[in-house]
Amino acid sequence: MDQTNHSHTAHADDGQVHAHIATSQFYLGIFGGLIVLTLATVKVSYYDFGPANIIIALLIATMKASLVAAFFMHLRHDSLFNTIAFLSAFLFLAIFILLTYDDLGVRAKERPTYVESMDPRTGEAAPGGEPATSATSFEVEEAPKGEKPAREPKKE
Amino acid sequence: MANVSESLQGEVAHGEAHEHPDFLQHHFDTPAQQFDASKLGMWVFIATEILMFGGLFCAYAIWRALQPQVFDQAHHFLNKILGATNTIVLLFSSLTAALAVRSAQVGKRNATSIYLVVTILCAAAFLVVKYFEYSHKFHLGLLPGHCFGHPGLSAAIQNGEEVGTCLRVNVDSAPVMPEWVQAVDESGHVQLLSPRANMFFGLYFVMTGLHGLHVVVGMSILLWVLIKNLQGRFSPQYFTPVDLGALYWHLVDLVWIYLFPLLYLVGKPE
Repeated sequence: MDQTNHSHTAHADDGQVHAHIATSQFYLGIFGGLIVLTLATVKVSYYDFGPANIIIALLIATMKASLVAAFFMHLRHDSLFNTIAFLSAFLFLAIFILLTYDDLGVRAKERPTYVESMDPRTGEAAPGGEPATSATSFEVEEAPKGEKPAREPKKE
Repeated sequence: MANVSESLQGEVAHGEAHEHPDFLQHHFDTPAQQFDASKLGMWVFIATEILMFGGLFCAYAIWRALQPQVFDQAHHFLNKILGATNTIVLLFSSLTAALAVRSAQVGKRNATSIYLVVTILCAAAFLVVKYFEYSHKFHLGLLPGHCFGHPGLSAAIQNGEEVGTCLRVNVDSAPVMPEWVQAVDESGHVQLLSPRANMFFGLYFVMTGLHGLHVVVGMSILLWVLIKNLQGRFSPQYFTPVDLGALYWHLVDLVWIYLFPLLYLVGKPE
């Protein structure tokens, strides 16, 4: 389209690309925030908060990802539809993981061998590992770490 | 009013009298329409990429729930400092990618080129660090399939056969059972890893490997954008490839933002 023909007041519907332009300092600020969050997540990993470890790590990761998506990837000033397309991926991912997780829990209750690792050669429980903790609610019985493996190596 | 009628005339005349700009494909009415369509396409692609990695994140969630102790023990073989360094390298490359787009938006062609070069160099630096991490784990015999958890390995070790680098692991440690791996972790502690830890290392290598493949693809895309930029193809009216190339690069960064804590950080500290 002819560009000289249009005054700047006709910005919104002149058919030209009018992306939001942030300042370099703004991007540097976002980068600074990302570095602080990275150092924070490494620092807290040296302390043990038990089951909260993964929650804290994922929370900080999500804060970082939000900064990258909103500002580096321009979603903040972009069409809302792009944000919806992007977030829909996480919705389907959540359905995928939660249903798989639920399925596994139900199977573990019905028949624990479903979630046990089995040696296909002997049909016995595969060596190694420790019983899952109560936190996961899966009941898997096997030899604790460091003991003799359940299966002796085959003698030729 | 005058403005409106002027632009209406412009629309009518648009089809016959006015030439499209070079970059505007004939099936789009305006540059803005083309730009928005390209961006939406890229975001849908990014969603599919997240779902592709999602399968691996799901596998990680399941196996970690089943074997929390094994994951906890095995994750001490990943070096937090190297992982954090790579995170900062990738975040910095995301910054330069965003600045490359900004420079393209305001028509600073040389600045765009410089930022793109820095981004590509950071990507290369990331891969170099990853190379050292991988080769250290290969050396310890933690590569599943080839050494770790390999069905034929225990028999081979008992017969004293050389199995690549795998023998180094068990050679001086009598109490190690077949298919178990004894090795020194990143804190200098000797760990006895059960064969089930191969799930952790399997996920580690596949997730970081797929991510590494994306780094290589991202580098190629940014290199192509750099060449087009040097040829002077972009302007404040048309910078879509710079924008979309940078979006792909930010996606690589996004995936790593989750991979780093999940693989390197979430276990119990020693």
